[in-house]
Amino acid sequence: MDIRGKRIIVTGGVRGLGRAMVEALLAKGATVTVFDVNASGMAELIDSHPEVNCIECDVSSYGSVVEAAANYHAKNKSADILINNAGILYSAPLAKISMTGIEKHDADMWNKVLATNLSSVFYMTECVVEKMIVSRTKGVIVNISSVSASGNMGQSAYSAAKAGVNALTVTWSKELGTMGIRVIAVAPGFTETESTKEAMGEMLLQETIKRVPLRRLGRPDEIAQGVISVIENDFFNGKIYELDGGLVI
Amino acid sequence: MSTKLSEIITSTLRLPPASITDTLTMSEVENWDSLQHMDLIASLEQAYGVEFTFDEIISMQSVGEIKRVLRSKGADI
Repeated sequence: MDIRGKRIIVTGGVRGLGRAMVEALLAKGATVTVFDVNASGMAELIDSHPEVNCIECDVSSYGSVVEAAANYHAKNKSADILINNAGILYSAPLAKISMTGIEKHDADMWNKVLATNLSSVFYMTECVVEKMIVSRTKGVIVNISSVSASGNMGQSAYSAAKAGVNALTVTWSKELGTMGIRVIAVAPGFTETESTKEAMGEMLLQETIKRVPLRRLGRPDEIAQGVISVIENDFFNGKIYELDGGLVI
Repeated sequence: MSTKLSEIITSTLRLPPASITDTLTMSEVENWDSLQHMDLIASLEQAYGVEFTFDEIISMQSVGEIKRVLRSKGADI
C-alpha cells in the first residue's frame, strides 16, 4: 500500500511513539488524524504540524470513541488505516511482599490498564471497520502491542492487555481478510520515551538495557519505520512484527 | 447455471451440487453465516473480476440474487 494520500487515524498521537508515527506518516504524504485525550497536547501538535487533524477522545470509553468516530466519519467516508497506539504503561506484580504484609495488585488499576490498552483497541476498530466495510475500503489496522505480551514479570495487567491485543490481531485478520482489510501488530521492545522512563526508573532501565542483545533502547523513529513497513507490505497480515533489539522476555 | 458459479457456491458453503437452486437462501443453509458469506463474496469477486457494493453484498442472500447481481455487472454466468 502506498501511504501517500491515505487517511490515517493514530490514537495517542500526541507524544511518544504515537508522535513519531504521526511525523513519519506526514513525511510520507498521509492525511493524519489524531485521536487523543490530551487536549493541550493536541493544540501543541497542531502548532508544530498544522496539517494534522485532531479529535479529542478517551479511547478507554466506548461512548467517547463512538462520538469521536462519528465526528471523523462526518467528514471522511472511511479511514484507510487505523493505528491503535494509545495506551498506558503500568508496572505492578500480582502480590508484593512488604514489611507490613502482602500488597495486592490494585484492582482499579487492572481495570484501567485493560480498558486503555485492550478495550480501546476493540472500540476503535469496531467503529472504523464498520465504515471500511460499508465503503469497501481495503484498509489496514495496525495494533501497537509490546514485547511484554509474552508475559513480563511485574506487569500483570499490561502483559495481559498486550497479549489480548495480539489475539485480536490474529482473530480479526482471519475475519476481515476476505474484505481486503489487513490486521497486523507491531510489538516494540523498550524504547526511548518519557513513559518508559517514568514507568521504569533509571536503575531498572539500565538493568533492562543489559538484557537487550543490542545493548540499547529502541528509538521511536525506528518503531515508526516498522509501522510504515508493515503497512506498505500488502502480504503482511495476521502477524506480530517484533521490534525489540533481540530482547527475549 | 455455469459450472464455475456452481463450484464456487458448493465449495465455499460445502453443499452438494444438487442442492444449488435459484431459490436456495442464506437462512436455509447452516454453513452460510456472515463469515462464510464474506468468503463467498471474496471468491465471486476474484473469479469474475468484479467488486460488489456493500448494498449488493447485503442483497445477495439467495442463489438467484447472486446470479442477478453478477449479471448486472456483466459477468458471464
